[in-house]
Amino acid sequence: MRRVWLLALRDLRLEVRDRAGVLSVLAFFGVMLFVMALALGPEEAPLRRAAPGVLWVALAFMSTLLATRAFALEVEENTLDDLLLTPGGKEWVYLGKLLFQLLLLLPLSALALLLSAGLFYLPLARAPALLLTLALGVLGYASVATFYAGLLARLRGREVLLPLLLFSLVVPVVLASVRATVGLAEGLPLEEVAPWWQLLLVFDLVYITASALLFPLVLEG
Amino acid sequence: MLLRLEAVSKRFGQDWVFRDLSLSLKRGEVVALLGPNGSGKTTLLRLMAGLLKPTRGRVVRQGRALFLPNPPAFHRRLTAREHLLFDLGFHGVAGDWEAALTRFALPPDLPLAAFSSGMKKRLALARLLLLRPDLWLLDEPETALDQEGRKLLLEVLEEARRDAGVVLATHDRALAEAVADRAVGLGAA
Repeated sequence: MRRVWLLALRDLRLEVRDRAGVLSVLAFFGVMLFVMALALGPEEAPLRRAAPGVLWVALAFMSTLLATRAFALEVEENTLDDLLLTPGGKEWVYLGKLLFQLLLLLPLSALALLLSAGLFYLPLARAPALLLTLALGVLGYASVATFYAGLLARLRGREVLLPLLLFSLVVPVVLASVRATVGLAEGLPLEEVAPWWQLLLVFDLVYITASALLFPLVLEG
Repeated sequence: MLLRLEAVSKRFGQDWVFRDLSLSLKRGEVVALLGPNGSGKTTLLRLMAGLLKPTRGRVVRQGRALFLPNPPAFHRRLTAREHLLFDLGFHGVAGDWEAALTRFALPPDLPLAAFSSGMKKRLALARLLLLRPDLWLLDEPETALDQEGRKLLLEVLEEARRDAGVVLATHDRALAEAVADRAVGLGAA
């Protein structure tokens, strides 16, 4: 676990010093929310209805951008080989890159939730349940995005290929996340939302385990 | 035996880089790879490191291998201190990074973006010395080094051979003659 933290914190330090990645994610995210709010508003009903969808589209794109960024840090500086020559399993590289994204994505998700509440009338009365949904959904999405970003890291056109490969596999995660968010926004009892959380948890565990096991193979030259 | 290549061949597309190459390396040995540009020295080092797979043949490696590319690869937004601390932690090795930076005359807190090519090469050597791999794979380690840096390189290679094996690719025949126990020539396949 020490290696995972070391890699994640080093990447976070690089990202904070560079700022380009986080700023582009924030710019995309802000523009998207404001354009959608302007297009669907000002009446409350259509904005509230669209809120879960808009929130998850924004989070999905943010996660995809950050996953590409996680490996671009290594490819730009030609440092991926150093990580691959570290003794022991290569799954640490995958888990470190995943943790790096989560350290950025989770605060950004909370910010997205606040902005969605402000612009789209998403009710925050059940904020803890919404945050749980965001955490489970983002974890599932980022686990697959990290895997594919690593697979495509050395290929030209990776920015085009990543969404094409990724979106087909993360449909269950996005679907469950959106349905859980809609249920919470509509005030459904937690017992009716809980099955979506269970589904997300299962997908998260399966995706993380499978990705960590397969990751060393995709990095071999 | 630290490293054994058994009839190794490598092809990119239709072009063979080299064919049926066999080589072995023991602890305490230094082997120089000589050859013109494009003869496959870097490819061979990457095969030895396990970063590439041979098209044919087998590479058997024992112990920990580290590869020093040319130019060395570092994150330019990190400082030398941050780089070495990360490497030591990530490799699970204990080492005196402060003494290493002092010995190689490198500033600990300057971002690597401000380092010259020679300073980066010195840092790469300091890193290898701290991480103490069993197998040192060096791609043109003399490039960009000044007189003092070259002296340090010779010292480092002498220290490395005490408990490790070294393969270095170089165009510098004088360096190869000074440090290598034997040389392997690579040419067109």
